[in-house]
Amino acid sequence: MTRTWWKHLLLILGAIIVLAPFYMMVSYSLKSPGEIDRGEGGFFGRQEMMVDPRCVALQQPDRADIQAARTRFPGQDDGDVQAALLAETEAECSMRPVVFNYSKAFTEAPLIRYLLNGVIVTVSIFVIQIVVALPAAYALAKLRFWGREAVFGLVLFCLLIPVHAIALPLYIMLAKLGLTNTYAALIVPWTISVFGIFLMRQFFMTVPDDLIDAARMDGMTEFSIVWRVMLPTAIPALLAFAIFSIVAHWNDYFWPRIVVTGNRDLFTPPLGLREFKGDGDGSFFGPMMATATVIVTPLIVAFLIAQRRFIEGITLSGMK
Amino acid sequence: MAVLDANASEPVSQGVQSQARTAWTLTAPALALMFLILLVPICVAGVLSFTNYSLGNTGFDWVGTENYERLLTRATYAKMFVATLTYVVTVVPISLGLGLGAAMLVHSLGRVGDIYKTIYFLPVMATLLAMAIAWEFMLHPSIGMVNRTLEMACGSWFEVIPFFANGCADRFPLWLGDKDYAIWVVCFIGIWQGFGFNMVLYLAGLTSVQRELYHAAEMDGARSAWARFWLVTWPALGPTTVFVVTISCIRAFQVFDTIEAFWPQGGGPNKSAYVMMFAIFEKGVQQNLIGIGSAITMLFLIFVMILTLIQRWLVERKVHYG
Repeated sequence: MTRTWWKHLLLILGAIIVLAPFYMMVSYSLKSPGEIDRGEGGFFGRQEMMVDPRCVALQQPDRADIQAARTRFPGQDDGDVQAALLAETEAECSMRPVVFNYSKAFTEAPLIRYLLNGVIVTVSIFVIQIVVALPAAYALAKLRFWGREAVFGLVLFCLLIPVHAIALPLYIMLAKLGLTNTYAALIVPWTISVFGIFLMRQFFMTVPDDLIDAARMDGMTEFSIVWRVMLPTAIPALLAFAIFSIVAHWNDYFWPRIVVTGNRDLFTPPLGLREFKGDGDGSFFGPMMATATVIVTPLIVAFLIAQRRFIEGITLSGMK
Repeated sequence: MAVLDANASEPVSQGVQSQARTAWTLTAPALALMFLILLVPICVAGVLSFTNYSLGNTGFDWVGTENYERLLTRATYAKMFVATLTYVVTVVPISLGLGLGAAMLVHSLGRVGDIYKTIYFLPVMATLLAMAIAWEFMLHPSIGMVNRTLEMACGSWFEVIPFFANGCADRFPLWLGDKDYAIWVVCFIGIWQGFGFNMVLYLAGLTSVQRELYHAAEMDGARSAWARFWLVTWPALGPTTVFVVTISCIRAFQVFDTIEAFWPQGGGPNKSAYVMMFAIFEKGVQQNLIGIGSAITMLFLIFVMILTLIQRWLVERKVHYG
């Protein structure tokens, strides 16, 4: 019994360290700048109303405003009117810290746009990877042709090449083609997944030949066999591969950092977050952590919902 | 079938031919992309590593092995190799050890252990850049949670430890701003982020170890848990370990996000965290010194390929052995 307790103690200690930055990230995204600065307020902060200094600065009442508002404050001099207006603006600009942080995250930078870009890029990459890899994997697993060994050898060789490592020549080629700062630049280098071909081929090897022969008897072409027979049987392997591909490209920072320079319309979520960091002004810790939370959440939630699938998917990579 | 083949050898050989044609059509897109995206760039990098090419210039000169000589002689690049190796040599064994340790503990707890599995895997899923920024706040010298937690130990018996004594008397480290700590902090975050992945691979390996082997080992006199581990578990996990080591090495060589997030201006205090991937980015992309960037790329590829080839060789040996 005591042994079990020791194990739990050790694992809990590890869990605290693992969770600490997540805790801090979410907690800061809920707190006001003052609370972050002084380290107060527990996890949720006190959620007292706070005034957004930038909002006030933007709506500072000027001479024209005072003139216009004079009728609303009869018999008061300019100073009083101004003070009254300022109080109104401050009331308008005050909100709960959590609202402040998250609304700033979405308004200060086009975060929705970044998230959308993230989705466009990850989904396009995955779809193209499948369209390219599936037929090749089928041919390598199930068709006999002269040169098959050579093609498979090439696949095995390409498995040695980490695409991140050849980023520089790829970048030069894309720059020469005038493709930097386009969606194509974000997607093209990832369209070929040698790992995907390998994974699918191994999976297809286990599919019985009879199934394919039966499809041929029915008069299906090889092409339609790939999409109408092999694709449905490969769903588990495809899911595993999807997890890999999507996690890698949603989180990727290195490649977008190289090929997207300045064009905010193409920023992926990590680039958007980095831009926030560039702002560097102390009162922005809250909104920045809110942005980080928004970016990290989709995959974490997907993982928590479909844990078993994720872990099976990751495990499948160990089959090499 | 055999009779049919003998009688109709003509149509069959036609069938084989058409199958070959289909096969080539099906593999053509993949082959074309493999050449264009993987093989051509390597050749391009190989060629450019012997030149002083810059993007935008019309011409360039051959400089022979000058780029490589520079890589092997200049102090900055010496720092690059030191930082990269420090990172790889620290992160790979520790994240392997922690991954295996966590897997064994979680495995021995049965279903109750699943909660830890979930928690330890979270950093693997999280965007590393976001988590790097979170860690940066944690390590902030004045408002960070780490130093605040350390300060709580002041005035207690903890002060016996020189680290706490110094910290309480003067101040706790700046972490990211201190050249003695910077690379270790990056290593720590690398381990923090990656060991859950290894844990999952080891868990898969552990479930496939046959129960009977443990009984057999016990009969043979392996009484202690330790002996059983060395006799049964560790050898059974051999292929997993080989895979974990290779993939962790390749990932460790590619560390970039944390470095760029902490020190966008370049490689940490006194270049103590100037890793290869950052060097490729800085030289090749930011400073447009493509020759030298390509030379680093080539060295990088050679390291990674050697590693993977060693893995292949080891795994193949294990297979024959088993």
